[in-house]
Amino acid sequence: MSSPAASLAIDAREVAKTFRSGWFRPRTTEALRGVTLEVPRGAIVGLLGPNGAGKTTFLSILATLLIPDRGSARVLGLDVVRDSLALRRRLNMASGRPSFLWSLRVAEIVAFYGRLYGLSGSVLRARVDRLIEEYELTPYRRVPYSELSTGLKQRVALAKSLVNDPELLFLDEPTLGLDPDVSVRVRAHIAALRRERGMTIVLTTHYMREAEELCDDVAFIKAGRILDAGTPDELKRRIGLGDVIALRLEPTAPAWLATAAGVLRCTTNDGWTECTVDEAEKRLPDLLGRLQAEGVTVRNVRVREPELEEVFVELAR
Amino acid sequence: MSWRADALAVWAVVVRNALMASRNVFFFFELLFWPIVGVLSIGLMTRFLGLTPAQTSFVLIGTIALSVVNVCQLEVAYAVLMDVWAKSIKHQFLAPIGIRHLTIGSWLVGMVRGVALFTLLAVLAWWAFGFRVFAAGGGPVAVFLIGCFLNAWIVGVFVCALITLFGNRAEAFAWASVNLVLVLAGIYYPVSVLPPPAAAIARAIPLTYFLDAYRAHFGFTSEFAAPIATGLGLSVVYAALAHLAFYSCVQRARRTGLLLKMSE
Ligand SMILES: Nc1ncnc2c1ncn2[C@@H]1O[C@H](COP(=O)(O)OP(=O)(O)OP(=O)(O)O)[C@@H](O)[C@H]1O
Ligand SMILES: [Mg+2]
Repeated sequence: MSSPAASLAIDAREVAKTFRSGWFRPRTTEALRGVTLEVPRGAIVGLLGPNGAGKTTFLSILATLLIPDRGSARVLGLDVVRDSLALRRRLNMASGRPSFLWSLRVAEIVAFYGRLYGLSGSVLRARVDRLIEEYELTPYRRVPYSELSTGLKQRVALAKSLVNDPELLFLDEPTLGLDPDVSVRVRAHIAALRRERGMTIVLTTHYMREAEELCDDVAFIKAGRILDAGTPDELKRRIGLGDVIALRLEPTAPAWLATAAGVLRCTTNDGWTECTVDEAEKRLPDLLGRLQAEGVTVRNVRVREPELEEVFVELAR
Repeated sequence: MSWRADALAVWAVVVRNALMASRNVFFFFELLFWPIVGVLSIGLMTRFLGLTPAQTSFVLIGTIALSVVNVCQLEVAYAVLMDVWAKSIKHQFLAPIGIRHLTIGSWLVGMVRGVALFTLLAVLAWWAFGFRVFAAGGGPVAVFLIGCFLNAWIVGVFVCALITLFGNRAEAFAWASVNLVLVLAGIYYPVSVLPPPAAAIARAIPLTYFLDAYRAHFGFTSEFAAPIATGLGLSVVYAALAHLAFYSCVQRARRTGLLLKMSE
């Protein structure tokens, strides 16, 4: 079982889905137009893309909640359509806008889903207790779901999604609407799930910081297609956004700066000269050397790598 | 799926429905108010019209049956309805369970509620109108209740199917369409008084036969040759059809995306 396919948690090929809604005047939405993605076991992969790109649709297909129109998807070696029941035992999902039965209490919600996944007796109790503790829900275990804040609801959703100890976890915008402190902790939890349990995690997010911090690989989806995929660094390089070298120069920036080797463009802003270069490490020594040789004083230097956010904006355009 | 996992999934649904029922402030209202109003108003009407005790028992059996079926079918429909209201339906279809676990679990809770209601209405009918529902004896009462519960199960599962087909906007339609069928089952009148097309529909409804069989213990001659066997046979067929319909509707909802639209 060491073929490449066996080491893949997800092997999706040309997955397509068109929604048809309305009984009288049907409207169609091509949500996915042939998505191919491979996710190795034990990886954390992020799906990024503008609103309506098809991220949730894709996750739902992989999680067996939605049947694709075309293409094939094997998840944990099982076909998402034919082997859906066996697959459901081994995966789980949580989303950033969770909802559960309003009047059930936190512990009851986790226990209900635990039973659906075949847990009972002391095993169930121990699992529920552990998850409630891990997600710092102990003070709320007897609070009805409808009385919880957004952050607490999200934590209940995460606890529920781990009740069957899944091998593969789908997280649809897991930190949506959380305050920075809670987001940081949720991210730490997600990272720990992979580190400690070897869980494969596929998440969607609109926070690029989150994607950079958590994901080994990211895939950009737009209008139902994957535009690019790779590590965040690879993407930045491929998109060719370059690094920014910001300089505070005295007396002024020389004209040659804009046309120096490796410099893509130069702007002056608030006393700072910002040069976008292909690679800062390669160009910085040369530039500084030439400036010094010409008697230009360099008062301050800042180097900024492009943010994933800029890659996003570039790709989403 | 092992029988243990099967039993656990059913138990999960039983616990959930029971907890939800116990949390609902309107639970007692829902359980008691309309059935009591029904028995009292129908009972008083029989008095006003000067019906014989036999006729009164005929009508009251119908009222009680309708109440029991209603309470139980509502609980069966809760298998999906509560989650549709809460927009949490996708989680239970993400879990490795079948629709049978949902329908059986909620049916079990529905039967408990049904038995409680039946007992209460029996006491009420006896106290207010001197009608002894239990006079037929334990066996016939049990068969009668099983008939009511089977009908409720079938109706509830069909409602589940309609809701997963059309979404919760179809709720009112779902209730109306199934209740229309029940009214034809000879709740307040023998099937023989119905016009032929309606009587044909009534003969296709299992409840008709269980009412007929039970009323035979109160001095009415049976309209059918083997009502209990017919009722049970029809029930099995319809229960299978209802589950097939529910299953197809869930699969359809997985294709159309309605399952997602009804969640979160
Ligand atoms: N159940 C559904 N029925 C009909 N259309 C749908 C359904 N779910 C999604 N769509 C449509 O499919 C397209 C993709 O939606 P999807 O929810 O997958 O996007 P997304 O990438 O998750 O967006 P967001 O970032 O806003 O969550 C959208 O145009 C959406 O309107
Ligand atoms: Mg989405």
